[in-house]
Amino acid sequence: MSGARIALWVLASMLMIFLVAPIAIIAITSFNGTPYMEFPPKSLSLRWYVNFFTSPQWYQTAITSLKVAIPTTIAATALGASAAIGIVRGSFPGRRALEAFFVSPMVVPIVVIALGFYFLFSGYKLLDTPLALFLGHTVIATPLVIVMVRAALQTANPAMEFAARSLGAGFWQALWYVTLPSVRAAMGSAAAFAFLISFDDVVIAIFVAGPDSTTLPKRMWETIRFEIDPTLTAIASLLTLVAVVVLVTGELLRRADPTERAE
Amino acid sequence: MRQTARFWRSREGALVLPAFVFYLLVYVYPLGKMAGWSFYDGGFTLKFWRELAGEPVYFKALSNTLEISVLVTAITLLLGYPLAYLMTTTTARARRVLTVLLLIPFWTSVLVRTFAWLVILGRNGLVNNTLVALGLAAEPQKLLFNMIGVQVGMVQVLLPFMVFPLYAVMSRIDLNVIRVARSLGAPPHRVFLHVFLPLSLPGVTAGSVIVFLLAVGFYVTPALLGGPGQITLATMIDMMITTFLNFGFAATLGLLLLAVVAGIFALVSALMGMNRIVGGGGA
Amino acid sequence: MKRREVLKSAGIVTAAALTGPFFHIRPARADKGELVVVSWGGDYDTALREYVCSAFEKATGYTVKLDAPPETAKVKAMVQSGKVSWDVIMTDAPAVAAMLKDSLLEPIDYSAVDKAKLAKVPKELQQPYALGQRIYSFNIVYNSKLMPKAKHTHTWAEVWDGKNFPGGRTFNFQGGTAPQLEAALLADGVPMDKLYPLDIERAWKMMDKLRPLVTKWYTSHAQAIQLLSAGEVAVGNTIGSRGIAAKKQGAPIDVDYNQGKLASDNWCLVKGVRDRKIAMEFINFALDPKLQALIAQKVPYGPSNSGAFEFLSAAEAADLATSPENIKNQFWWNTEWWSTPGPDGKTPRESQGERFAKWMVMN
Repeated sequence: MSGARIALWVLASMLMIFLVAPIAIIAITSFNGTPYMEFPPKSLSLRWYVNFFTSPQWYQTAITSLKVAIPTTIAATALGASAAIGIVRGSFPGRRALEAFFVSPMVVPIVVIALGFYFLFSGYKLLDTPLALFLGHTVIATPLVIVMVRAALQTANPAMEFAARSLGAGFWQALWYVTLPSVRAAMGSAAAFAFLISFDDVVIAIFVAGPDSTTLPKRMWETIRFEIDPTLTAIASLLTLVAVVVLVTGELLRRADPTERAE
Repeated sequence: MRQTARFWRSREGALVLPAFVFYLLVYVYPLGKMAGWSFYDGGFTLKFWRELAGEPVYFKALSNTLEISVLVTAITLLLGYPLAYLMTTTTARARRVLTVLLLIPFWTSVLVRTFAWLVILGRNGLVNNTLVALGLAAEPQKLLFNMIGVQVGMVQVLLPFMVFPLYAVMSRIDLNVIRVARSLGAPPHRVFLHVFLPLSLPGVTAGSVIVFLLAVGFYVTPALLGGPGQITLATMIDMMITTFLNFGFAATLGLLLLAVVAGIFALVSALMGMNRIVGGGGA
Repeated sequence: MKRREVLKSAGIVTAAALTGPFFHIRPARADKGELVVVSWGGDYDTALREYVCSAFEKATGYTVKLDAPPETAKVKAMVQSGKVSWDVIMTDAPAVAAMLKDSLLEPIDYSAVDKAKLAKVPKELQQPYALGQRIYSFNIVYNSKLMPKAKHTHTWAEVWDGKNFPGGRTFNFQGGTAPQLEAALLADGVPMDKLYPLDIERAWKMMDKLRPLVTKWYTSHAQAIQLLSAGEVAVGNTIGSRGIAAKKQGAPIDVDYNQGKLASDNWCLVKGVRDRKIAMEFINFALDPKLQALIAQKVPYGPSNSGAFEFLSAAEAADLATSPENIKNQFWWNTEWWSTPGPDGKTPRESQGERFAKWMVMN
């Protein structure tokens, strides 16, 4: 390997450590026996994990987060996938503009979107409800689903659909039996991302949620700002674990999918 | 025009309709409402905008926001470009490993990662303890509650957003062009500067725009890791709502931020063509 | 056939999952016997639950739900939207003033509180819309490792002296508490009994001198304590009671009550509280001297009912801001001065708060 190559690998390794190490350190700190978050821990204990699972103020919020994330995943995936299919398969001037419109929530600063939600929901007395969170999260999750399904559709072969139609299949049949399976992997990944976007959201929760609808990230945010609690390190580690599990599951499902082309 | 109308009546249009209506109700309408609040105080008024123009504070917050975003974009570009290049030119297996490693922090919540830095960058945190132990610093350095802390936190979150678009474009560069240039006798660094780099520019643009726009909207990281010099427009919006209970002014600041983002986006897409950013190279 | 079955059940599950959040019906409060009390969280709430809430629940059969923190913006949103889910709030005087300005509170029904208790509560803490529960003060709180007790900052002037007393400082910002102008004036040599009305310009000149010394402007007292125990800063202006509490848990923190600013957290009723009688009953319970003493033993805040001192040992009393020894070196926060509107219609709390935010950003 040339000198330049070695330098590149050194840089890459350092960046990887930079990206991953903080999370690893928090995971280790979560086993700290004392409430002082010192590293390396001087004593080990599972007390913070126990605290999380036995404190209503923590596990209730986790349940609330789940209550919002699951419907969000379903709605965002359904809305996003249909919209992506419709956009790619349809053709008309202004299609690009429509695409840009659908993707725009990813570009608008999340605090502005959250502020908009605040005004919207306060007008309809919907502030501090899981419904409001569900609506808000769906708006920010759908664009990603659209982008991912669209990308998959563009690499998928439209000829199969065409063949199915010419063999007599109706529009909806072709959609269900040909198009959807071809983007199944992308939809699975998109659904996983949508779930994580909703579960991890903190900004929208700050503006919209309240005591009746506190999600886990919102409680974490309040804790970091008002009453610093080492249980946070345990929660952070658990959240990372959830994300890794979701990612790995998604990847394994993708590999097992016979319609997915080999790398 | 007629083609558009026909689309909406077609079955493809029916697929798009639910999402479209949803967006209008829950995305466009609230933003419009917010904009309305910015001009309303018992009746139509421009008082919030007058106040905004008269107070340098808000523009300082805006310039803080932009300063942070520009710096983050530059740093992620500097670090991300070599990384993307490496990913493009290495084996499939190594690429997979790098991709997974890049994705892991990508999917841990911002709050978790920011919190991690709070613990690691403190005066008695891991970094400072190591620096002092190795003799690289006489005393603990101030790494938190300033631009350093904010940059570290934000670069960690935004690096993947720079690397993936760069990689997407780089991986599509036709290697034959490179080969031809080399066979014509050009030395490696010239090939890179005059062939590879220009071809990778769409990726640079896409990645930079994405990172910049995301950075402008960041709320959590500057609030937790930054100091007074990193007070962003997002923080001020929150202050308006929670501390000053001035909803009209919060809406005004929100509209300002939105206008800035829209302006930058319009500028870049006019210069570069929207396809490159939204389409990502698709047909 | 089988596939259709699977799809059907998947459809049902989906429908259930999708509609779940909308049918999550919360039991109506007051009819089902629930009272929502909002405080500042942390150890105090734990003690509140252990002593006051459990006694109250046993006596009345109502359940108490504790929530935190008592953000005024939330109260405003609740009252204005008509969806009031908080009944009783415990918060500080500036927050009370802010909420009164927007008519978010209902008056305290003093006839529902035992006369014997009220007799031992300072008159200043018996306001029409707020009844004091605990007394604390803003003190010089320092890290005893970085600043040994023998050579620590004993006055605000010394806190302002970065040369002779090196180390980072932390002062408050955001959260509705106006800048610590009193501390600034005391640091400049103004005698404690001649503070009010505050010489604002003189105070801001001192704030300018303070700025370079501050490592981090904290957004919550818990954060201040965290910064102090972690050694991020050497000394700060925060609530002494929290410092004492941390010290008891083994943190290297100590408190100097000299030149402290006394303040109180008060009970208020949110406008639209569904059962005022039960809410006042809870407040009556909270003012019980024995219960207040039990709380004070756990969490070192001064009880508003001085009758509680009969149940405390001398050692326990010494830790409290309101012990005779400590109280003589402190002054009361003049919340009336801070809440009186000036010629422009803005109270000093508002105008100085705005000035503070602007001062902070234009650094």
